[in-house]
Amino acid sequence: MTDRAVPAAAPLGVGIGLRAAHYQDFLAGRPQVSWLEVHSENYFGEGGYDLHVLNQVRADYPISLHGVGLGLGSVEGIDPGHISRLRRLADAIDPAFVSEHLCWARALGRHFNDLLPLPYTEEALGLMVARVQHLQETLRRRILIENISSYVSFRASEFSEGEFIAELARRAGCGVLLDVNNLYVNQINHGSDAIAAMNAIAIDAVGEIHLSGHLVTDKCLIDTHGDRVAEPVWALYAAALARFGPVPTLIEWDTEIPPLETLLTESRRAEAARKQYLRA
Amino acid sequence: MPELRCLQESFAAALANATHARTQAGLFQGKPEDAAGRLALYRGNLFAAAKKALGSAFPITVKIIGAEFFEGLAREYMRRYPSVNGDLNDYGEALPRFVAEFAHTQDLPYLPDVTRMEWLAHRAYYAKDAQSFDLNRLASISGNAQAELHPVLAPSFALLESRWPIARIWQVHQDDYAGEFSVDFDAGPERILISRPLFRVEVTSISAGAFRFLQGAQRGASIARSLDAALAEEPDFDFAVVFPVWISAGVIVGLEQ
Repeated sequence: MTDRAVPAAAPLGVGIGLRAAHYQDFLAGRPQVSWLEVHSENYFGEGGYDLHVLNQVRADYPISLHGVGLGLGSVEGIDPGHISRLRRLADAIDPAFVSEHLCWARALGRHFNDLLPLPYTEEALGLMVARVQHLQETLRRRILIENISSYVSFRASEFSEGEFIAELARRAGCGVLLDVNNLYVNQINHGSDAIAAMNAIAIDAVGEIHLSGHLVTDKCLIDTHGDRVAEPVWALYAAALARFGPVPTLIEWDTEIPPLETLLTESRRAEAARKQYLRA
Repeated sequence: MPELRCLQESFAAALANATHARTQAGLFQGKPEDAAGRLALYRGNLFAAAKKALGSAFPITVKIIGAEFFEGLAREYMRRYPSVNGDLNDYGEALPRFVAEFAHTQDLPYLPDVTRMEWLAHRAYYAKDAQSFDLNRLASISGNAQAELHPVLAPSFALLESRWPIARIWQVHQDDYAGEFSVDFDAGPERILISRPLFRVEVTSISAGAFRFLQGAQRGASIARSLDAALAEEPDFDFAVVFPVWISAGVIVGLEQ
């Protein structure tokens, strides 16, 4: 199993998350971004306006499908209906990337609509490897798995976060969606080492990088995706680029969504940083 | 997988019920009281996500009862009917049943039907796009043969009958409604048609005969049979007037043998 980056993604630069608040910007014009990422579940309907918009913009931009509701690491099981809707969407959209999170969501017959953390144990690793392989076989493509931010960490963990992700990518043959803000949030919340986490991951495993803003509170950092990228996160992004090269990068913004121009400003800053690592 | 299952179930119990959070805090690094506080953040996130999903499926209900009251209602709904699905656009189906029984909404007897209407509209919004009606094909069939055909309804199609003026309630709560904000709750029963001509969902009050006709079509009856039912309900029902309207509005999207 090799760790070659997902579909030789070199031509993609910096993208942004497409949210309903900016649909009109993309229907009326063609803002300067390299690609667009959407939350897969928002397009699970069989028809309607959102899907219509996605079909319009995919003529102009490569699309990445980013799942937020599958809960791959749930021992209780994952919803086969969810996977078939994802497959229908992926077949219709022909995305540049499909990504999911390193998390769980289902237990006690309920679905917790959040990204819940796993303990970094051999048992959890085995489960994640099996689930990722199943999803890759169903979708007939390699997927990217994103590291999450969390507010708790488990006593039971046997690996560091970086070791766990690196081993998951190696065993399952998936790529890594490296969320640099999440590494930083975890570093502050749990005292983990973001640079060490990056150094644990194979250089060619990372297929995409996420950048977003967080909220500082007196308890901990909260991963709101509701602000500009913080300066320490830009510094970690530079370190990520130095290690992994000019990987396609996304500016993510999900709450208190500002005018598109704010996202474009952030994306230009990311592009300037990324360009320094492009080979002539 | 006993250990991981046990851990996830303990975590889930702490998220479902705050009183479990303290007893489960030992699973986590750090001081138990800090862990309990962090678990409260997850509970807050879960509630915020559920409230947002319900608010976007039931915007008129939010306007009627107010955002603050809706928050309390959503909290109780989430406790009684927790999410079982990774797609929050599917969350809220039981809200009509919930508000019919909820002690604090008993003074709004029309609210269950408003939420029924909003849920049908929410489903219509995500329904499969309709094919367009092939008028050429219709022209090739004689009038008598046409009566034996079965109307094909758009995937977004829905009907609802209420003793309350819910179409009027829908109308006055639309963002672009500029008329007088008044609802006559004694206006009598109303039958409504939910449709989505292109991407925007529409709610229309229809006559008793029109309702019977479309109800027949929904059950797969032929034009002739549905027409009989409609005329029995409303002797003046004028099929020749409404049929082309339903075709151009994307309500009826085809005819089948």
